[in-house]
Amino acid sequence: MRLTGFPLLVASSLLLATAANAAARPRYGGNLHVSMRAAPAALDPADASQTDWDGYHNVCSLIFETLVSLDEQGRPKPALAASWQAEPGNQRWQFSLRRGVTFADSAPVTPDLVAASLRRANPAWKVFSATDAVVIERDSPAPDLPAEMALPRNSIVRREAGQVIGTGPFVVAAWDPGKKLTLVARDQYWGGRPFLDSIEIEMGRNFRDQMISFDLGRAQLIEVAPEQTHRAAADGRRVENSSPMELMALVFDHAPQSAEDGHQREALALSIDRHLINDVVLQGGGEPAGGLLPDWMTGYGFLFAANVDLTRAQQERAEVPQAALWTLGFDVNDPVAHVVAERIVLSARDAGLRLQLATSSAADVRLVRIPLVSLDAHVALTELTAALGLPQPKFNGDSVDDLYAAENALLQTRRVIPLLHLRTACAVSTTVKGWSQTRDGSWRLPDAWLAAGKP
Amino acid sequence: MPSASHNPVYNAPILDMRNSARFSHIAIVLLLCPFVFASNWQAPAEQLAQKIAAATGPGAVALDVANRSSLSQADADEIRRQLITELAVLGVHFVSADQAAATVRVSLSENLQNYVWVAEIHQGTNEPVVVMVAWPLLSPAMAEHPRSVLTIHKTLLFTDESRILDVALLNGNPQHMIVLQPENVVLFTLQNGHWQQDQAAPITHSHPWPRDLRGRLVLRKDHLFDAYLPGVFCRSTATAPLGLNCRDSDDPWPIGAAEFGLSAFFGPARNFFTGALSPGVGKQTTTSAFYSAAPLPRDKYMLWVFAAVDGQVHLLDGITDQLAGKLDWGSDIVSVRSGCGIGWQILATGNSDGPADTVKAFEIADRQAGAASEPAEFNGSVTALWTESDGTTAIAVSRNSETGKYEAYRLSITCGQ
Repeated sequence: MRLTGFPLLVASSLLLATAANAAARPRYGGNLHVSMRAAPAALDPADASQTDWDGYHNVCSLIFETLVSLDEQGRPKPALAASWQAEPGNQRWQFSLRRGVTFADSAPVTPDLVAASLRRANPAWKVFSATDAVVIERDSPAPDLPAEMALPRNSIVRREAGQVIGTGPFVVAAWDPGKKLTLVARDQYWGGRPFLDSIEIEMGRNFRDQMISFDLGRAQLIEVAPEQTHRAAADGRRVENSSPMELMALVFDHAPQSAEDGHQREALALSIDRHLINDVVLQGGGEPAGGLLPDWMTGYGFLFAANVDLTRAQQERAEVPQAALWTLGFDVNDPVAHVVAERIVLSARDAGLRLQLATSSAADVRLVRIPLVSLDAHVALTELTAALGLPQPKFNGDSVDDLYAAENALLQTRRVIPLLHLRTACAVSTTVKGWSQTRDGSWRLPDAWLAAGKP
Repeated sequence: MPSASHNPVYNAPILDMRNSARFSHIAIVLLLCPFVFASNWQAPAEQLAQKIAAATGPGAVALDVANRSSLSQADADEIRRQLITELAVLGVHFVSADQAAATVRVSLSENLQNYVWVAEIHQGTNEPVVVMVAWPLLSPAMAEHPRSVLTIHKTLLFTDESRILDVALLNGNPQHMIVLQPENVVLFTLQNGHWQQDQAAPITHSHPWPRDLRGRLVLRKDHLFDAYLPGVFCRSTATAPLGLNCRDSDDPWPIGAAEFGLSAFFGPARNFFTGALSPGVGKQTTTSAFYSAAPLPRDKYMLWVFAAVDGQVHLLDGITDQLAGKLDWGSDIVSVRSGCGIGWQILATGNSDGPADTVKAFEIADRQAGAASEPAEFNGSVTALWTESDGTTAIAVSRNSETGKYEAYRLSITCGQ
């Protein structure tokens, strides 16, 4: 036994002992202060009218749950449903419910209540309750139904006396619509009580006000504008980014009315320098996009060109004797969209096209930002096209080739010109431990805990 | 793109993955050689070659392969070689671009679940044809960290998707292993160097488990084992087949090795001990709420070390309750009798925020703690650390930050290496 170095090691370690004095295992207790832009007037996961989807979804996921959730690879995993199976043809599905789950008011989750919730969210579906299960019948094969069940709008809720009650890890303690929401942890939550005692969410705060609150220590979790992430991190803040999950695109309300219209749209698509917009306007807050779905989700996104090609744009423009003057609409409340729209007008001019900014919704072409609401590529594409007002994608099968073919067909309609996929970002205080977010930027607050919390 | 959603099956096995050899990876230290994941790309290469040949037909093509994925360059080279081989079988031969009837650009890409190999085929002035194949992503190789002259030895026992709360090894021929998980206790037998599942006994509980669930196995002499979980106590049958009787219980959990006879009450809806001790350390029957405790035998008394919920380390000797000063310890500590140094060391988890964790040996001479080893590193946070029944080794469970799987290790200390 050689002990020569032993005392020395002990002594040196004593000197090196740090002042850190916290424990690494999660602590129960504490109140988390959150600030966000979303200012919903009501808390209902079926409400599709919310403009700030990310923040709203993050709030709703604390209160409401779905039968199925998706893992980091976009694969369905059990949530309120313990298992599921389809009958041959994938039109009729049975979801067996997890036992012992209750709503926030302690009422048990029953097949009847689940069926009622799903029927309301999906009037076209036939939903039946069965013993410990619900059965869903669709008009056509629905191989992606489990992933579809993970969409927020399919959250299981009980509506009673004007209230919407969920099964999630937190329950509403106080609610000043659009301004402030206080949530408290549910002791009897089936997935285990969250570590935090409560969460206070200030709503309707712009990015700047959120950052001020963060720097003053009044908020421990805030949203950060994509174009501000690098600066926020460079200033020493802990900033977390999602994968690019929001599509910024130009959308036409209708298909090209003529060959000239098609050439003009192609010229516009080729004239836009997406890399410049991303690097300068968004400070690297996204990725140039030639396709609707991001490359990390499909693996083939690089096939859709995202590079500016002014020569080809001018050639396409030359096919049009008299280019029409188009109005370009954008969200006047979104300063980034305004700058991007201005940049697009300049790029179009270089190609010989005429665009004019407009704030009305009746513009010829609109600059939109649409979140991708699922990590399942098939479901994401379906929901995305619905939000863009495009025809539903037609999948001939479930292979990656079929996905590519469906997406390519949508792009060939020339109804949409993808520009960028944007990341969502947030700043998190170093006192918030166990923090994580999913690839799509959803916050996993039930697993978060505060270093300064009390047991 | 194959996925669960596209191949509808009854998915109950997802909740019980340990029953399926597909989802569990079991190893013992005897087999500490690096895990080798066979990179056999023949099948996808064959599929892609068939699709390419269907588009080009036999003849001369120019082939370019670009790697856009996480595959290594060696794998990319191997894929290119196999692709050429498969295409040659189909009558495709390779020439430079200026002599080719078609040019084929293959991009090795990937998405969330699969490698996606895309071939863009250009023939004359036609629109390019795009074909692709998808192949499931490989798990990241669980490469062992290089071991230097560490005194803490890690032995990988068991890996699983589901949380592992504790593991106990039963000596005998054959050797058995008991794994405590949130909903089951699973018994394995070592056969031909691999753990084979024998039985799984469900754990019944009437209340939801708390988050950061903890649990402990204690081997017994008159029956196989007891399992302690928050608010639940389970006792195994004495003979095969394995049976488990579980009941709601606030009984205190044994802490430290069995020989020390100290138990503590665990918060039934929390992840820590309340601080109430049974029967106590000398006259001391309570201390601060704590996550873990470790005994250190002294000549004339027993020193108990508590990693308290407030981040402090308390030293109880039966009379006084002292703070150990500022230490960079995590929440989990155990003591092991190594015979090295002053005989007993404390193994303590680290206190960093990063994705990795460590366990380091400390000695407490007088009331001052000092490091006694280099840290043993884990590729993820340590979620459980318990002394094994004989007190000479410990079980550590970590959640691999790359794979998301739980990995159970036996930790042992050797002297002066």
